[in-house]
Amino acid sequence: MIRTEYPRLDEVVYRETLSNGLTVQVLPRQGFSRKAVYLTVDFGSVDTRFTLEGKEYDMPPGVAHYLEHKIFEMPDDRDVSAEFAALGAFVNAYTSTDLTSYYFSCTENFPRCLELLLEFVTNLHISEDSVEKERGIIDQEIGMTEDSPGSRIYENLLTGIYVNHPVRIPILGTRESIRDITVQVLTDCHRAFYTPGNMVLSVVGDVEPEEVSRIALAVLGPERRPQGCKQKTWQEPPTAPEREISARMEIAMPMFCLGFKSAPCGKGESMMRKELIADLASRLLCGDTSQMYQRLYEEGIIDSSFGGGFEILGNGAMMVLSGDSDDPRRVREEILAEAERLCREGISQEEFLRMKRSVLGELIRSMDSFDSLCSRLYVYHLCDYDFFQFPGLFETIRPQEVLDFLQEVIREENSCLSVIYPND
Amino acid sequence: MIQIIDLLPGVVLRCCRDSRFKQGCLSFQFMRRMDPAENHLNALLPSVLFRATENYPDIRSIGWHLDDLYNVSMGPLVRQMGDYQTVGVHARFLDDRFCLPGEKVLPGVLDFLEELLTRPLLEEGCFVPALVDSEKKNLVSFIESELNSKGAYSMGRLLNQMCRGDSYGLSRLGDKKDVAAIEPKQLYDHYQRVLRESPIEIFYVGSASPETIAEYFRTMLGAWHRDPRSLPAQTGFHGAEPGEYGEEMEVSQGKLCLAFTTPVTCYSPEFAAMQVFNCIFGAGMTSKLFLNVREKLSLCYSVFSEYHSSKGILTVGAGIDFDKEQQTRQEIFHQLELCRQGQITEEELLAAKETLTSSLRAVHDNPGAIENYYSSAAIFGSDRTPEQYMEQVQAVTLEDVARVAQSVTYHSGFFLKGVEK
Repeated sequence: MIRTEYPRLDEVVYRETLSNGLTVQVLPRQGFSRKAVYLTVDFGSVDTRFTLEGKEYDMPPGVAHYLEHKIFEMPDDRDVSAEFAALGAFVNAYTSTDLTSYYFSCTENFPRCLELLLEFVTNLHISEDSVEKERGIIDQEIGMTEDSPGSRIYENLLTGIYVNHPVRIPILGTRESIRDITVQVLTDCHRAFYTPGNMVLSVVGDVEPEEVSRIALAVLGPERRPQGCKQKTWQEPPTAPEREISARMEIAMPMFCLGFKSAPCGKGESMMRKELIADLASRLLCGDTSQMYQRLYEEGIIDSSFGGGFEILGNGAMMVLSGDSDDPRRVREEILAEAERLCREGISQEEFLRMKRSVLGELIRSMDSFDSLCSRLYVYHLCDYDFFQFPGLFETIRPQEVLDFLQEVIREENSCLSVIYPND
Repeated sequence: MIQIIDLLPGVVLRCCRDSRFKQGCLSFQFMRRMDPAENHLNALLPSVLFRATENYPDIRSIGWHLDDLYNVSMGPLVRQMGDYQTVGVHARFLDDRFCLPGEKVLPGVLDFLEELLTRPLLEEGCFVPALVDSEKKNLVSFIESELNSKGAYSMGRLLNQMCRGDSYGLSRLGDKKDVAAIEPKQLYDHYQRVLRESPIEIFYVGSASPETIAEYFRTMLGAWHRDPRSLPAQTGFHGAEPGEYGEEMEVSQGKLCLAFTTPVTCYSPEFAAMQVFNCIFGAGMTSKLFLNVREKLSLCYSVFSEYHSSKGILTVGAGIDFDKEQQTRQEIFHQLELCRQGQITEEELLAAKETLTSSLRAVHDNPGAIENYYSSAAIFGSDRTPEQYMEQVQAVTLEDVARVAQSVTYHSGFFLKGVEK
C-alpha cells in the first residue's frame, strides 16, 4: 500500500488498487472506537445508458436506486441488516446522481462486518416476487418526496436548469418509470457496474490498512471482470432554458431555490480549483458575512434559512442558493446586481484573506466526522483528485479568479428560480 | 473522563479533555422551566443576542470576527429537556494546533461568548426594538415552517394534544402568537432575570486544561450579580385524556402517528430494558415494525418508533396510503402484542443490545456526541457514564423486555390524510 502523509492536516492515508481493480483507501485513526466503512459503486441515477461487452443498454430512470434497495436481499431468508446488527454494526446505503454507496459503522467485529459488506454488495439475489414487492415501498418513498417541499423545489430547479442532462429526472425515478424495472434490468446493471474495478472501498478508524486489502481480496477474488462503459456527456446549452418554475403546496411561507448554471468542471486538480473558487465566490456574493446578506437580512427579505453553494452533479455544475422569502424574485435581482457590483469594485485583500481563513477552518473542522472523511475520500477519488492536497492548492487561489467566476456564472441567462408558494 | 467543577453557586462546569479532535466544542446553557409564560421569550433570546453587541454592532461584524477565528461555528441553543428548557450558546471551533504559528482560537471564542452574553447592543437601556422585531418575525416563520415536514408536523400535533396539561405538550420554541406579542422591554427584563436566577450548565470538550476553562468562567461569572434559584424536580407524564385526532391536507401520502405511555422513564431501573424493547419493536432496520410493516407488507417506506424517556411516552410514525390506516394500525398493535408475549428471538434481542452498546461505545469518538450525552445526562440529574449504561444494556433479558412491553399502553393517535387537489 502507498502511505501518504498530510502534515498540515495531521492525517495519513494508505491507498492501493488490488489486482481485481478495487481501489482501497484507509485513513487510520488510532484511539477511536468507531470504524466507518463505505463501499462505493461508480453508478448513479444519471447512468441509465451504457454499453457492456458490445451491447447497448437504455435503462428506466430510477434503476440505480431500485438496485440499491434490492442489494439488501440475501439468499436463504438471511437478513443482512440483522446480521450487521448482531455484530453491533449499523448498515445502510444511499444513491446520488453519480454514485451508489453502501456503508456500515461498527465498534467491534470489524473484519467480519467488512466481509459481510463486500459479500452482500457484490452478489445479487432477487426474484420476480421480491422485485414486485419493492415497487410498493419505493412508490411510498416517491410519495414522501412529493410531499417534501425541499425535494420538490430542487427537482423543479433541475428541470429549469437543464435541457437534456438526465439529472432532470429524480434519483428515485418516477412512479411510471419504476414500473419498467424488472429482474433482468437489475441483473444487467449489477453485472455492468458492481464489479471491483468500478468500486472504491474507504475506511476510517483504528484499523490495520493491510488487513483491509487482505479481506477485500479474499472476498472478491483476484480476477478483474468486464465492466460497463457509461454515457458521460450530454448536449447541454450553456444557459438555463427556464427563468422561473413555481408550484403550490401545503407550506407556510414561500420557499425558493435559485440556480445558476455553470460549465462542467472536468476532473482532477482543475475541478477542485473551480470548486474552491466557487465556494469563495458564493461567500463573497451572499455568504452570511457578505454585504448583501446583511442588507437583505435586515430588510427581512431573507432569514437565517438562506444559504447555498456550488454543486457538481454528473458532468454538470451549478451554484444553488435557497431559503424562505416573501419576495424570491427580489432575491434574484439583488444577487445579480451584487455580482455586477463586486466585479466592478473588486475585493479587498483583507476580506479575501479572512474568507480563505474561514474556509480553511471549516474544512479542517469537518474532518472530525468519519463519514465526511470517507465521502471526501471516494467522491474525490472518482473525480481523480486527492482531497487532502487542498490546503496547498487553496493558497494559490487569487482574488481575480473569484471575480471571474462571478462574472461568468452569476448571469440572468444562466439562472432559474424555483419557487413553492403556500396554497391559497 | 469528565471532570465536574462546581464553579460558583448554581454554576457547574463539565470538561472532557481530549486532544484527538480537530475541533473543540463548548455549550453554555441557562436552565429554565418549560413554562408557557416564558418559553417563547427563552426561544427568542439567543437570536437577539446574536444580532449585535457593543463592539460588534451588526451581523456582518460578528461574522467577520468569527471568520477571523478560523470559522467558529457559534449559534443560539434552545433545547427542550423534559420539564426544562435550556437556552444559551453552542460553539464549535478549530483546535489551536491548526492555527498559524503564534495564533490561538480558544481565548477569542471565550471572549466573544462573554461579549455576547454581557454586552448586547442596547438602545435606551433595552434591546434595540428593530432587532427584536426582526428576530420575532424570523422565529414566527421558523415555527410555521414545521408544517413543511408533514411527518414531524403530525407527530408534533399528536404530542401537543395528548400532553395538554403536561409541559411536554408545549412547543420548544413557544406559541407563535406569544412570540409575535413580545415587547423589547419585556424581553430585556426577562433576560436580566435569566442572568440572575438561572442555574448554568457549561460543557467543554477539547485539548485545553479544565483549569484554564474554569479560571476563565470563574472570572467572567464572578462579576455577575447572581441569585440562583434551583428548579423544581422533573415530573412524570400527566397529560390529557386519550383521544383520536386528525387533519386533512393536500398531500400525496398519509401520516399515521400513534402514542403509547409507560411508567418506565429515564429515572426507572427498567430504563435500559425499555431502550432495548424500543430497538426490537420499532427503532431501526432490524426492528419488528420495519421488517413487517415495511418489508413484509410493503405498507410504507418509513416506519419507526421513538421512546421519549423523560416522560415515558412511546410514539410510532408511518407514512402510508390513505386507505391503509386500519391495516397499518392493526399490524403495529400486533407487533407490540408479540413483544408483550415475549415472542422475541435471541437474534432480535442480541441485535438490539449490540446496536445500543455500539452507539454508546462510540460516544467518545465525537466532540458533539460527548457534549450531547453528558450535558443531557446532567440536566436529567444522571451521572451514568456510557460504560455503566452499556453494562445495564448487556444485562437485559428477554423477560425484562416482555415486562416493559407489557407496561406500554395505547394512549392517542393522529392521522394526516389527503383532500382532493
